[in-house]
Amino acid sequence: MFPIRCFSCGAVIAHKWEEYLAKLKEGKSAKDALNELGIDRYCCRRMFLTHKSVIDEFARFRGAVG
Amino acid sequence: MKVEFIDEDDLKVRFILTEANPAFANSWRRAMKSLVPTMAVDYVDIYMNTSLLYDEIIAHRIGLVPLKTDLERFNMQDKCVCGGEGCPSCQVSLRLNVEGPKMVYSGDFVSDDPETTPVYNNIPVVQLYEGQQLMIEAIARLGTGREHSKFQPVSVCAYRIVPEIVVEDCDGCEKCIEVCPRNVFEMENGKAIPAKVIECSLCYECVKECPLDAIKIDEETGKFLFMVEGIGQMPMRTVMRKALDILKEKAEEMNKIIEEVSL
Ligand SMILES: [Zn+2]
Ligand SMILES: [Zn+2]
Repeated sequence: MFPIRCFSCGAVIAHKWEEYLAKLKEGKSAKDALNELGIDRYCCRRMFLTHKSVIDEFARFRGAVG
Repeated sequence: MKVEFIDEDDLKVRFILTEANPAFANSWRRAMKSLVPTMAVDYVDIYMNTSLLYDEIIAHRIGLVPLKTDLERFNMQDKCVCGGEGCPSCQVSLRLNVEGPKMVYSGDFVSDDPETTPVYNNIPVVQLYEGQQLMIEAIARLGTGREHSKFQPVSVCAYRIVPEIVVEDCDGCEKCIEVCPRNVFEMENGKAIPAKVIECSLCYECVKECPLDAIKIDEETGKFLFMVEGIGQMPMRTVMRKALDILKEKAEEMNKIIEEVSL
């Protein structure tokens, strides 16, 4: 799951996560998407750029253990 | 002391504080960050959680969701009439009962108090898959940033000194324009003038590079440029005013202590 706040500055960022994904899907570059969303500090930008959600992968093993 | 706003919107403000001193500017900055109370979830009862995240992770994520705060209506729990046990004037409960498959958003919480709701309704909290259920009661209360950063009403809150730059006997060599990383200088009538002083980062490159030593920088102007970015629990002006109220209260308390000691 995407972090709700930026680790460094504490600004709320999760409310823009799905919009960001939608922009990427439209074919925009990550740079353009973040600029349009007004994420201008590099601490917050790296939160988007480096995020990898693993919950979908976990879900494949649901019920396999325990 | 005076405050001039340079630009202001819902979350971001930039203003100049004049006729002040560094001690006051810094106390104000610190008061905005760590002394202004806001509402945030601090206690979570989890009745049912069959999602893929642990109870603690979900509780932590809910705690980070900012809640709209009306400071007039709520008391800090330790100063409340209930003595800290929890009552409608110091806490609000938010309930959630959802079943998968569904993405749980901050907006799915049902608050006891119609005005204390999440600032953003589209923060993803947890993904629920087929057959998973989440039943939660989250208790929000007032707290301050010095206790936990989730209670901070501002994210970025910084100031810098606005210097006074004096250029005397300039021969128009444009060295300062070339060397200044913030583009503070502009040419006017063949002379360099400091056109955008508030951009200055006090790097002193212009002073070092000027062949005539014509540039002088005075740092003790009592002017401070504040750059403050809010989280959204309350308007930025409320945060600024509340921080000043708290500082005043503290100063008065200090005065009282000094008077008692000097008797
Ligand atoms: Zn950040
Ligand atoms: Zn109470």
